Amino acid sequence: MDFDEITRILGMMKEHELSEFELERDNFKLRIRKQGGGHWVAASPQPQYAAPVPGPPPPAVAPSASPVLAAANEEMEFAIVKSPIVGTFYSAAEPGAKPYVSVGDTVQKGQILCIIEAMKLMNEIQAEISGEVVKTYVENGHAVQYSERLFAIKPA
Amino acid sequence: MREPLPREFVEALAAASGRLGIFTREILWYPVVSSTNDVAGMLADREAPEGTVVVANAQSAGRGRHGRVWASPPGAGLYVSAIFRPKRDVPLLTIAAGVAIAEGIQSATGLAVDLKWPNDAFVHGRKVAGILAEANSSATGPYVILGCGINIMPAAYPPEVAVRATSLEGELSRAVDRGLLFVECLASVSKWYEDLQRGRLAQVVEAWRLRATATIGRRVRGDVGGTTVDGVVETLDDTGALVVRTRTGLARVTAGELTWV
Repeated sequence: MDFDEITRILGMMKEHELSEFELERDNFKLRIRKQGGGHWVAASPQPQYAAPVPGPPPPAVAPSASPVLAAANEEMEFAIVKSPIVGTFYSAAEPGAKPYVSVGDTVQKGQILCIIEAMKLMNEIQAEISGEVVKTYVENGHAVQYSERLFAIKPA
Repeated sequence: MREPLPREFVEALAAASGRLGIFTREILWYPVVSSTNDVAGMLADREAPEGTVVVANAQSAGRGRHGRVWASPPGAGLYVSAIFRPKRDVPLLTIAAGVAIAEGIQSATGLAVDLKWPNDAFVHGRKVAGILAEANSSATGPYVILGCGINIMPAAYPPEVAVRATSLEGELSRAVDRGLLFVECLASVSKWYEDLQRGRLAQVVEAWRLRATATIGRRVRGDVGGTTVDGVVETLDDTGALVVRTRTGLARVTAGELTWV
């Protein structure tokens, strides 16, 4: 189970308005439950090979100790904008110009956040949701990989 | 404001009607626009179909990559942008566009045109045409705007441009048939776009290599995604990346700024 899979599960839960999700695989168990306040909480993975022990049920809403789940928690709070392609990241339309967005800016859905250049094709990356830019991950002019994080947006 | 297409364009389009492929829908003529790419992008956002073409006699804010100004005085050039909505991933679109524009100019004028990576068109070592490709998406899906500026007349270009640029009429010492130039470029872009859509990528790469006398073997230097590259251009690889031989080995360049040393 990797970060992207968990992200997909969270997306699916949101889409279908599920309040709880449980997945068991070899040596792995994931349970995600939506709390009353509308927040998502991921449970620690439980090694499935452990013999069932009578006693209190596993804490379904324990804070995660796993870095993967911690990252997933961040993803639950913020919408992470990722690079759809390999290329070069440009934060502004031209050198020396004001960046399209900075931390603290409010953006609207569809607003251009940055440009990723690949093969001299300028790919304009749009915000998929409205909200506040809380983090930028890449410096202007730097190379980005497929799926690399670009921005975190706190949904409005 | 939009105006009817000039007669020389209408006649040339009629003469080439069987070769225009996707460009048979709508060709919009403007005496002057801010930038044909901006107009085409606005139309694409309003769901204008693939093959829609915007052509202008002048641009008040013509631009190249990274916001550089593309000098576009009235009548001095051909300023064209087209909307593409590729059904499959077309990684070589900008490479194919360079080949297509070079072929189109050559068909219409007879001038030998070569390419600098990825798609600047050169005649006798000076730039005669440039392409700006921008991708975005509208409600119906992703689209690409390919914009092209071709210098036709020697014009009062800014001094920093004048030393590196030339024009078709300046090279030919005679008038150029704008309608023919426009139509030959459209027909060529349409043909190469169809090849891309059908997956004929090797032909695109090979055609580019054959025209890249301005690129292959040249010394280049630059900042590429935060790393410095300094070496001699070896070739174009199958993905359209420029392969540069440096002192430490081969480097693949897919983006960034290169200076021709």
